[in-house]
Amino acid sequence: MSTPITFWYGCNVVRHGDIIHTCIDVLRALGYEPSPAGGPDFCCGSPKDGNATALGGMSQRTAEKLDARGNERVVAWCPSCHSQSIDFMEGAYEPRYDMQYFVDLLYEDRARLKPLLVHPVPMRVLVHKHIGFNDRVPVNRMVPELLSLIPGLEVIDEPFAAPGYMCAHLATLPPAMTRMVRQTESVIREKNCDALVTMYHQCQRELVGLEAQGVTRVYNYMQLVARSMGLAYEDHYKALKKAGADAAAAIPAERLQKVGVQFFDRAMLPELLKKTPR
Amino acid sequence: MSAPKVGEKFRSFFESERARILSSCTSCGKCYEVCPMPAYIEKKDGSTSGQVAAGVLGLLRDGTAQGTALEWVKVCMRTGCCVPACPENVNPKMMLRLAKIIALGGYGAAPLIPKKEDRDYFQRIRAFAELELSEDEIREWMT
Repeated sequence: MSTPITFWYGCNVVRHGDIIHTCIDVLRALGYEPSPAGGPDFCCGSPKDGNATALGGMSQRTAEKLDARGNERVVAWCPSCHSQSIDFMEGAYEPRYDMQYFVDLLYEDRARLKPLLVHPVPMRVLVHKHIGFNDRVPVNRMVPELLSLIPGLEVIDEPFAAPGYMCAHLATLPPAMTRMVRQTESVIREKNCDALVTMYHQCQRELVGLEAQGVTRVYNYMQLVARSMGLAYEDHYKALKKAGADAAAAIPAERLQKVGVQFFDRAMLPELLKKTPR
Repeated sequence: MSAPKVGEKFRSFFESERARILSSCTSCGKCYEVCPMPAYIEKKDGSTSGQVAAGVLGLLRDGTAQGTALEWVKVCMRTGCCVPACPENVNPKMMLRLAKIIALGGYGAAPLIPKKEDRDYFQRIRAFAELELSEDEIREWMT
């Protein structure tokens, strides 16, 4: 019998539908019955540090909505959501559910995950790490171990970890971001890596530009899990980054119409054109 | 009985954390000493580590701060090296987070550090959802 679980994927990961769909498929394959929840109506409030009333209102609403799903366990994909939950929501709202981070769940279930990883992914990769968040969940050890379950995949042993806990924050401090990217590129060259592998969507969003810029291939670890499981989801976000100024042409017309061409041009295209600083 | 105001529970938790930190931090400065982010502060004012920590406490106490203390709050990326370094188990990462909320004007005061306003933030997320998820998924997962 499947175990009900709420899969709280967060907000900004909706740029990467392939990652969300892969996580859901993996949870099902591991014996869970996931109830996905995410987007602005489930925002943890962390983007609203400059408005504590909004921050408090949003985080309380989300804790109540997650509680209303009625599952004992909520597994969070996003490190910001997970941190916000542990740092503030548990203390302020005392929700009934237990919070777990997605990598932690995968690691706990790695014996059941391993037989699902059947297709070789012959690649030598550098895992992109941050110092932060690792104190809460030891992702810098867990993700490489999980990746090593994939046949043919070689994870290089590299201690370098970037400051902060994710690149979306670091990108607000260009000197720190540029320095981190240069150090990363240097390791990739020295260790002859085929690809850079991110843990968080916030890093994937900031670093996938390196592939569009011809520096290195960039994947999220769940995209490699998907490949090894034989899941055929496409990475549309990467395709849009690579399309650059022609991104609109790569989007099915009916979907672009829903978004609105003017909104796409004003609010989405600049992100797709943004280069990863190096 | 009137309904609780929006943000009231958060405010209550915020105040309890603020009081806990103010009463337990000794301004030893170990948190600042181990942090990797001061390397990215352009203009340091010569404060010692202890003075920087005391400056952050000032922000928590009365909403005022300047110099390196304020710059440190600005560049905090929640790296978390400060947490195990703290000899008083204060959780300086939380201290900096609360300080940043205050410095951004989160409780209504004039912002002391630049506040990034992105009017399209949530609409952009909804728009990407339109590109990546089905109508059923949006309806069932996002409301």
